Amino acid sequence: MAKAEYTVLGTSIARQGGVERVTGAGIYGIDLNLPDAVRGGILRSQYAHAKIVSIDTSEAKALPGVYAVVTAADAPDVKYGRTYIDRYMLAKHKVRYMGDPVAAVAADSQAVVKQAMKKIKVVYEPLPVVLDPEETMKPGAPTLHDDMPLPANLPKNANVKNVCSYTGVHVGDPEKAMAEADVVVEEVYETKMIHPQYLEPRIAAARLEADGRITVWANAQAPFSVRTDVARLLKLPLNKVRVLSTELGGGFGGKASGITSGAAIEPICALLAIKAKRPVMIVLDKAEETISTTIRSGAKMYIKTGVKKDGTIVARTGKVVYDAGAYSGFGAMAGARCTQMLGGWYLTPNVHIDGYVVYTNKQVCGPVRGPGGPQAAFAVESHMDSIAAKLKMDPVEFRLKNVPKSGDKIVGVPKLRDISLGETVRIAAEKIGWGKTKLGKNQGIGIATGSWIESSGPGGGAMVKVNEDGSTTVHIGKIDMGTAPRFGIPMIVAEELGIPVNDVMVVNVDTDASPWDAGTVGSRSIIVSGTAVRLAAIDARNQIFKLAASQLEASPDDLEIKDKQIRVKGTPAKSVPLATVATAAHNVIGEVVGHGYCDSKLMAAEEKAHGNSPPFTTHACIVEVDPDTGNVKILKYVAVHDVGFVIHPVAVEGQVEGAAAMSIGQALCEQVVFDNNGRTMNPSFVDYLMPTINMMPRIETTLVHGYPGAGPYGAKGAGEIGCVPPMAAIANAIYNATGVRIRTLPLSPENVLRAFREAKR
Amino acid sequence: MSLTIKVTVNGKSVSAGAEPSTSLLEFLRDTLNYKGTKLCCNTGECGACTVLFDGKPVNSCVVLAADADGAQVVTVEGLADGEKLHPVQQAFIDTGAVQCGYCTPGFIISVKALLDRKKHPTAAEIEEAVSGNICRCTGYAKIVDAIELAAERMEDSTLGLTSGGRS
Repeated sequence: MAKAEYTVLGTSIARQGGVERVTGAGIYGIDLNLPDAVRGGILRSQYAHAKIVSIDTSEAKALPGVYAVVTAADAPDVKYGRTYIDRYMLAKHKVRYMGDPVAAVAADSQAVVKQAMKKIKVVYEPLPVVLDPEETMKPGAPTLHDDMPLPANLPKNANVKNVCSYTGVHVGDPEKAMAEADVVVEEVYETKMIHPQYLEPRIAAARLEADGRITVWANAQAPFSVRTDVARLLKLPLNKVRVLSTELGGGFGGKASGITSGAAIEPICALLAIKAKRPVMIVLDKAEETISTTIRSGAKMYIKTGVKKDGTIVARTGKVVYDAGAYSGFGAMAGARCTQMLGGWYLTPNVHIDGYVVYTNKQVCGPVRGPGGPQAAFAVESHMDSIAAKLKMDPVEFRLKNVPKSGDKIVGVPKLRDISLGETVRIAAEKIGWGKTKLGKNQGIGIATGSWIESSGPGGGAMVKVNEDGSTTVHIGKIDMGTAPRFGIPMIVAEELGIPVNDVMVVNVDTDASPWDAGTVGSRSIIVSGTAVRLAAIDARNQIFKLAASQLEASPDDLEIKDKQIRVKGTPAKSVPLATVATAAHNVIGEVVGHGYCDSKLMAAEEKAHGNSPPFTTHACIVEVDPDTGNVKILKYVAVHDVGFVIHPVAVEGQVEGAAAMSIGQALCEQVVFDNNGRTMNPSFVDYLMPTINMMPRIETTLVHGYPGAGPYGAKGAGEIGCVPPMAAIANAIYNATGVRIRTLPLSPENVLRAFREAKR
Repeated sequence: MSLTIKVTVNGKSVSAGAEPSTSLLEFLRDTLNYKGTKLCCNTGECGACTVLFDGKPVNSCVVLAADADGAQVVTVEGLADGEKLHPVQQAFIDTGAVQCGYCTPGFIISVKALLDRKKHPTAAEIEEAVSGNICRCTGYAKIVDAIELAAERMEDSTLGLTSGGRS
C-alpha cells in the first residue's frame, strides 16, 4: 500500500521516550532506587563441571550487615528450563559451567556482599570438562546430565550422547539427486560463541509486599516469562507475583528468554528478598554477565551441494552441531532454526540435514538476534560462492538462477507467496557496483543473501484506553528497547484514531495490568503488537462512533474521525470533539477501552491458504585486506531489505544497521574465548572486542517495496534479519580479494593471516 | 577514611563525602544522584559514563572522585536550557539516533566536547571524537547523521539563523 493513503504511517517521526533518554533521566533498571533496598550478589561456580560436596554459609551469615544467604537448600526443590526442565536456580549436586549460580547474599552494601561471598565455603569435586560439542557427542565423553534422556527422535544408529535435541530435515531424494549432479561441493564451516553485550547491565530487584505478594523489577525482554518462572520456582500462584519492566538499555535477545537469560537472577533476587525481609537489588557486573548469561552459540556446519552445469541446485545435505551450553536454554530452538536454514532459501528440491544440539560445559544458548540464522547463513552463503567458483559462474548470476518462484517451497516454508529475494540481489549488486566498480590492490567485493521467519509464534493482545481529554493510554505486553513499541506502535493508534502521535502513550509492561505476551522477541513486535493494537484502536473507534452517533444524529457508519474530531462524512460542519465523546462515555460504558489481539492461528490459516512471504535481504560490501597484518577494512557496505510495508522508515533502517553491525562484529572480531578448563578468557570489555565507529563502514540501507507481509498494513518484522548475511558477505569479499576461503570465524587479523599461510602451503 | 569532595556539577557547587576508592561515576550516580551518567563496563572501554571534566570528555568510571575535587564537571543533565534541549540532544532525537538510549548520554557529552572545540568537524574528527563510545543498537549510521545535523544547526544558530528540522 502506498504511504499516501495514510496520515502518519510511513513517516519517520521522533521516537517516543526520546527526551528522557537524551536528558539522562533515571529510567533504566540500573537507575532504580527502591527505598530501604539492600544489595544482592550471586556466588558463581569456579569450576566448569564439578560435584558440589558441601556448602557452608555459617561464616557468611554471621558477618555484620548480612541480611540473607541462600543456597539450593533454601529454595523449593523445583527445576526450570527454557525448552527442557534441566536446571535449578541455585545449583544442586552439580555445577555445569563456570558461572553457574551456587549461592546468593543480601547485605548492606556491595562491599559486604563481596566479603560475605568470600566466606561461603563450597567444597567441589571436579569432573572432566567438555567444551567441544563434537567431542561431547562421542560415546566415551563424560555425561553432563544424568537425568536427561536422549531425544526420542534421534536417527537410528546415531550412537551419540549428551545430545539435548535433534532436528532432521528431509525433502525429496537427496542421495539420488547428489549422485546425478554435475558438480558437488562439500565444505565445513564454523562459528564461535559471541555475547550480545547490550550496554545496560542486567538487574533484578524484588520486594515482599505486606499482603504476601512479590514485586519483581526486571530489565527483561519478556516480563511475563519472568513471572511464570519466578512463580513456579517459589511455588506461588501467578497473581501473587507482579513483574514490572524498567526501561531496557538494549537486549538483542540476550534478555529475551525469561529467567534463563540471566541465569535465574530474578527468582534468586526474590528468594533473597523473602529471606531478608527487605527489598533487594542485584546488578550484574559486565564481566560477570559475560560468563554467566545467555549467548549466541557457536555452530559447526557440514554442507554439501550438488548442482547442474548450468548452475541449478539439485541437492543439499549437511549436518549441524550446535552448542547448547550447560543447559538446554534456547538451544533446541536456535539449533533447529540453524539446521533448517542450512537447507538454504533457494529452490532446492532435495535436502537432508541432521541437526544435533549438544550440551557442553559453557554458557547457555539464548535467542540472540536471529538465533541460528547468522551461523547458517555464514555457511550457506560462503558455500554459494564456493559453488559458483567451481562452476566458473558469477556469484550474482548463480544466486539469481536459483531464486524460488511464487508457489514454490523452501525448507521451513511450505508455500511461498511474494518473493523479494531476486530483487534484493539485483539492487544490492547495482548499489555496490557489481561488475562495474574498479577494485584496487588487495580489494575484493562480496555479496550474500538472507531470510528469516515471517510470522510463526505466540499471539498477543493490546488495549487502547481513550481518556476523557481524547488522549489514549495503550497497554501491550512488549517492552521498548529502541524497537517498535515506541516507534511504530503509537503511530498505528494515531492513524486509526485520527489523533496526533503525541496523544498516544504506550506504557511499559506491568504483568498485573498489561495483556500477556511472549515479549519483545523474534522480530515480532510489529507483527503481534502492531496487529493487536490496530484492531484495538479500530475497536475503540467503533465504540466512539456508537457514542457519537446519537450526539450527531447520524448512523455510526457515516462517521469519520480526523484531527481529534468525530465528523459526519461529507458534512464536516457536523462534528463533535473526541474529548466530548470520551467524557460522555462516563455516563454510558464508563470508558472507551478498545481490545485487539494478534491471533496466531488465524494468521497461520491465512498463510496456509495464500502462502507466506518471508522477508529477504541481500548485503554486499567492498573490503581491503592488508596482506601483512591480516586486517580487513570494509570500504563500502550496502544492505537491501524487504520488510513489507514500512511503518517507520528510520526505525527500520536503525534495526537493519544495528543488526548488521552486530554481525560485522561477529565477522571481524567478536568471540568469547575459553581456556581448557572452561574459563572465559575475555569477560570484560577490555578484551571482548566489539565494533566501534572506527571499524564500521557507513551502512547504506535500501528498503524494497511491494512484498506485503502478515503484519499490520503488510508489515514484516525487521529486528533480526540484518544479522543474517554480513559474515558471508565479508568472507566472500575476502575470498574475492585474496583467493583464500576462510571457513572459521572470526575473520580477525590473526585468523586471516593463518589462513593465508595455510593457503600458501 | 572518608574524604570530602568539593566539585562543581553543571554549574552548581556541591560537597559530599567519598571513600578514596570511589570512582567519579559512583560519586555522581550514587552520592549526588546524577543518574544520567550511565554505568556499563566499569573499565573505561565503552564511554557510557562520559562526562566533561574541566571541559574535556573523560570516562568517569576510571576517574577517582578524589581527583575531581575542585573540578568543573558537566553531565548530560546539565545541557538542556530548561525545557529547551541542547542542539546535540535535539539532533539525536530528530535523526533516530536514539534506540535503547543507554549509550546516548555518553555520546552526547563526547559530541558536545567536539563541537565546543570544532565548529566544522571533518568526518575523521567526528570518528575520533566518538571512537571511545560504543553503541550496540544503531551501527553508528544515525549517530553520524545526528552529529552532522547538530554541527549544522549550531553553526546556523551562531549565524543568527533559526534551527529547523531536515526534510
